[in-house]
Amino acid sequence: MFSNLSNIVQRAQQLIDPTQGLNLSNSDRNPSKASLFQSQFRLPSSQTPLYEINAELTIPPSNSTRGDPDHDRGWHYAGKLHLSEAYMCFSTTPTSFTQSASTSTSSAFTGQTNGSGPSGSGFTFPLCAIRRVERLNSQNFQFALAITTWNGLLADASKPRDGSGSNKNVREQRITIHLAGTRQACERFCDGLKRGLRAGVGNVGKLRKVVAECYSEHLLRTDDKANVSPPDAGLGMAFRYPGDPKKLRDRAKMRLWAEYLRDNGRNMMLIRQPTFHKLIRVGLPNRLRGEIWEVTSGSLYLRLENPTLYTDTLAKYKGQESLAIDEIEKDLNRSLPEYPGFQSEEGIGRLRRVLTAYSWVNADVGYCQAMNIVVAALLIYMSESQAFFLLSALCDRLVPGYYSTTMYGTLLDQKVFESLVEKTMPILWEHLVKSDVQLSVVSLPWFLSLYINSMPLVFAFRVLDVFFVEGPKVLFQVGLAILRINGEELLDAPDDGAFISVLKSYFARLDESAHPKSENPKLRAVTRFQELMVVAFKEFSGVTHSSITELRLKNKDSVLNNIESFAKRTAIRNLGPDSKLLSPEELGSLYDRFYNVLYERQQRDRMIQEELKRQAKTSRLRASEILATTAPNEVEKGRVGLGPSTSLMDYDAFREFLAGMSKWAISDSSANGGEAKYYGAKKVPDTMSPWGNGPEPAEHEFLQRVFNKWDVDGSSALTLQNVVTGIARIKGKKDIMGTITYFFELYDDDNDGKVDREGILRISEALLFLSRRGLEGTLSPGASSIGLNGDISASDSQGSLPPEISTNERFLGSISAFIRRCFEYADPDHPKNQDGQDFGTSTSDEDLMVDPNTFAIGDDEDDEEEEEEEEEDLLALEKSPPGTPTKAKKTANLLSPNEESFDGASTDNESRRRVSKAKAEAANAALDPAHPLHITLPTFRMVVLADEILEQFFESSFPTSLHIIEGLQAPSSSYYGPSLTTFSNLGFSTRSQAQAQSGPMGGGRGLRGVLDNIVTDGMRVATEVRRRMEEAQRELEKNALPSQRTEDDEDDDDDVGVAVGVRKGASTDIERRSVMSTDRDLLDGADAQAGSGAASKGPGHDHNLLEVDTAAGRRRANSASTTGGSAVLEFEG
Amino acid sequence: MAEAPKPSSSVKLVLLGEAAVGKSSLVLRFVNNDFQENKEPTIGAAFLTQKCNLPTRTIKFEIWDTAGQERFASLAPMYYRNAQAALVVYDITKPTSLVKARHWVAELQRQASPGIVIALVGNKLDLAGESQSTSDEGEGEDGGDARKVSTEEAQAYAEEESLLFFETSAKTGHNVTEVFTAIANAIPETSLKSARGSGAAGTANRAGEEQRVNLSGPRDAGAKDGCAC
Repeated sequence: MFSNLSNIVQRAQQLIDPTQGLNLSNSDRNPSKASLFQSQFRLPSSQTPLYEINAELTIPPSNSTRGDPDHDRGWHYAGKLHLSEAYMCFSTTPTSFTQSASTSTSSAFTGQTNGSGPSGSGFTFPLCAIRRVERLNSQNFQFALAITTWNGLLADASKPRDGSGSNKNVREQRITIHLAGTRQACERFCDGLKRGLRAGVGNVGKLRKVVAECYSEHLLRTDDKANVSPPDAGLGMAFRYPGDPKKLRDRAKMRLWAEYLRDNGRNMMLIRQPTFHKLIRVGLPNRLRGEIWEVTSGSLYLRLENPTLYTDTLAKYKGQESLAIDEIEKDLNRSLPEYPGFQSEEGIGRLRRVLTAYSWVNADVGYCQAMNIVVAALLIYMSESQAFFLLSALCDRLVPGYYSTTMYGTLLDQKVFESLVEKTMPILWEHLVKSDVQLSVVSLPWFLSLYINSMPLVFAFRVLDVFFVEGPKVLFQVGLAILRINGEELLDAPDDGAFISVLKSYFARLDESAHPKSENPKLRAVTRFQELMVVAFKEFSGVTHSSITELRLKNKDSVLNNIESFAKRTAIRNLGPDSKLLSPEELGSLYDRFYNVLYERQQRDRMIQEELKRQAKTSRLRASEILATTAPNEVEKGRVGLGPSTSLMDYDAFREFLAGMSKWAISDSSANGGEAKYYGAKKVPDTMSPWGNGPEPAEHEFLQRVFNKWDVDGSSALTLQNVVTGIARIKGKKDIMGTITYFFELYDDDNDGKVDREGILRISEALLFLSRRGLEGTLSPGASSIGLNGDISASDSQGSLPPEISTNERFLGSISAFIRRCFEYADPDHPKNQDGQDFGTSTSDEDLMVDPNTFAIGDDEDDEEEEEEEEEDLLALEKSPPGTPTKAKKTANLLSPNEESFDGASTDNESRRRVSKAKAEAANAALDPAHPLHITLPTFRMVVLADEILEQFFESSFPTSLHIIEGLQAPSSSYYGPSLTTFSNLGFSTRSQAQAQSGPMGGGRGLRGVLDNIVTDGMRVATEVRRRMEEAQRELEKNALPSQRTEDDEDDDDDVGVAVGVRKGASTDIERRSVMSTDRDLLDGADAQAGSGAASKGPGHDHNLLEVDTAAGRRRANSASTTGGSAVLEFEG
Repeated sequence: MAEAPKPSSSVKLVLLGEAAVGKSSLVLRFVNNDFQENKEPTIGAAFLTQKCNLPTRTIKFEIWDTAGQERFASLAPMYYRNAQAALVVYDITKPTSLVKARHWVAELQRQASPGIVIALVGNKLDLAGESQSTSDEGEGEDGGDARKVSTEEAQAYAEEESLLFFETSAKTGHNVTEVFTAIANAIPETSLKSARGSGAAGTANRAGEEQRVNLSGPRDAGAKDGCAC
């Protein structure tokens, strides 16, 4: 097709207006021009209006009308000519799709179809059906085009046949169109037409194939029909069509149609004149019924687009099974079982194939009961392939949402119908309300099975005839007419049962005379069905496409909400026994969160795609590639009520899901443009962000493990059930042993009940990851863990520190102790460390001697890694905002400020050194690859329970950190940044700067910083920790000679060493602020204290950029303009 | 068995259950004492009425037979609204259908009118090998014992939830009438409304032909028994 550009525009419009054809979304208040165009001419969604121009259509006089004085010069129609990629359409009705047109204005014109479907007179020619276009000279018009079509010439081109116009040849279908417009407009139109025609040439083959299946070709054959088998016009050919052909006057109708088609072209080349609509109203003849349905519904054009789709689909999925197929199978024998064709294998086979093929091409709909009845009805009149495409047209355009998994379309139209009844028949409505009769109980099957189930078949097909050409409003008009005609009796019906039986008996007598007692024989001849049609289309002519669209829009939300609350209720109730561990509120909230994340991600994807396409517009090549992959039918999705969106959560969605509930699941990093977000004030909604407006979720090995654990069937996606079960096990049991076991199992990769050295390190990393924004839940403030060494006294003495601070700080210590204890108790081969309480003394000289050697090997590697890491750190810093201080590079030495703190070593130093040393030794032993070790669950449990804070973490803090119901309070990202617990958060001391500078607590901060750093890089954590341990070893020596140093790698090492050694020493810390502010920087705005208990402590604003006045910052940081800045200041101070 | 007119009341009853477990067939057996191998699937819901004659009163059942396919579930509230009784049907040869039945019971207990009488019904007993009058195999099942849901399991569940419990065969008619009779008896007197307008209602209702309903214990209900006319 010649215009990719406009294709893209149209695609984009569809993305904005994904419900085109659905008449459901808000965008339908202002539907895209393309969708209106498609809807008016029933064109496939690939078509967009490219050019339009006023024109006059001249149809030459035909054989049959020759001599008619009115028409001896043919018919003339003024209207508009439209050109799309592959179609040229003409309609006498005013254009319905100017850019600003809404559905209501566009359908305000009331051609025969009131705005939906091919109305007025005109045609819809595929360009490939045009054989020749000639430009004529015309006095009155700039341009006059003579158009010759392939009409009648496709079936058997080799044989010349008799036409009505000439002797030897088929009379050509030749029409004339005078363009009325400026010369320029005409030229443009003609250029477009030329391009389209050229592109269309290749499709003549397709056209030939499609047309060959149309019965009209056979009907109008002029040569001997005897030896040619007619195209398949449905099961009716073999099993008879329903009804008595005589009574239906089928022959007469056939003759009329034959004449009409001869004069006005057939199938693709058919021109609509007023007679066309009249012929439809009186009922279609059996053998042409299928074809005319195809033409009026537009499914013929779908078939032209992909003539082999049906057979291809069947071939592609041959032998495959699905839920839909099971459901179809159940119903095959119960679809119009009284029709002989469906008591035969032939009929059943056709039905099976069409339903199955459709369930594959539209898996979202799959199979819905009632489709079997509708398709069975179609198959009486058309071939399988025709029925397949007509079913598509039905589901996508004519009755959207009727057969979806939630059937929202059905429910919505019931509401619409009720509103119409209320409006048009207030007395009846009042009666219904008073006697508590629910109308939809009666009317729902009418709509769902298009009256096929309710009326005798012959009459149902008459309704369908009109329905396909005029659209869904017909269903409403007929329904209203039924109620109106039976109004008297219905008013006497006291309940549902009576109501139903009145209507049942009415349907049973549709063929009887409507006025049996009338004197007038003509009136007596009017059947009840005819009466029904008259009432429907005369009395309820006010029911138009637009009034229905309006009512749909009005009721859409309440219907969807109802469906969704039902779905939610059902889903929650069916979540299984584990869900009982959570409260109904929690389950409800989980449900909402789960689907919200999926929904929002879907919307975001859509927007991003749209954006990509917009960008792609600049390149035709790329554009065509994208187009090739676009699904042909864009349907509004996502809301649960609209049917199957995805109900599976992938890993990224899972992270986003957790980030909505838990502080720790929010990223610290500034990657992916996160900077802009976390420096709150500057935040600009970034539509291209994969995370939308929410915080960027963290990535950590722990999350991956949890995801895998929850993903019980290994499908790399979580169902709501998986998520609920997963959370219920963490949060529901309120059982510390359970939580500890859960945690252990997360790291027991091979389920052998053992977690090795690597696992232990990973667990500790996870603990750090989870606690880096502070702990939540019930923590006893004064708690000191039994395993803590001398430092504890220092922390306890800090009466001025708020309890939360010390708790969070002590948690670091606890983790440190955790690692140590794990290694102590892990391997029975290391009995020497059994006495954890007296660690230092247990260390022998021998150990000291040995350790350096064990480390020596690893050192080089580690150094290299460290360098790499520093480089990365630098990169990260460069990305930071302008406020980043010039000294940013120095921050690469993450821990260097700690060196300074050593200068002013306090009296604690001695003990710290001792501890560090011991720790280092222990670590060394533990890390010795020659001593593989593992811990078991009981050990793990013991180690955890040995530490009060860890115990509390598992008992309360971790489960509490999942805020299922309330979520995280402030959804703005600026909240999260500050909430990150970093060093500075922990330690705003009330002491003087001098004090702050000195003191062993720097080590504590250092640990925290290291940890913060660690958690930002899950992949390297294990190495990190090992490295730090080695550094601890070195620190032993350095501590012996405390001296001022500049920032260098060694400093870094020292700090780490201290950190490890000090363990919980952090709690006493006065001044951890500065050291780790660089980390904060790396962590991107992590500094705000709001999240940590420390907030109350200090007046500082650590990060002015964030402008979060959490009052938590360290005093000194106040002056810094950025977090990086504060780091530098600290450093210099 | 013409008697003096007894107090008559109507009871709204809804049938729920997975697709193709035999809801419509149960109703058809109860109402028309008939069985059809290929019954058109119910679209939305079908409405039928049938009278059930108890010693002290007559119950007119207004039966709402709902569509079973999963996606029709969201329509169900429309039908069970104001229902005083519910028949939750499963297929004893299909364990999943009992799961679905449990869902329906839960839904009803939470959403339907309080005090609704619920009967759990395992249908297609004719397919179970050990059962009575195993006629011929039905609906594509093997001739042998196709039972996959044990009576004990379902019974235990029913007791736990205080449901009436029956195993039936719509095909042979076994126990069908008993279900409806038991429900009729279980409806508390107080919740009975007086019968609504008679005549027009219920095309399927062949009024006048009222038969004795045996209330005493389970019998092997032949097709002719019960209040089905």
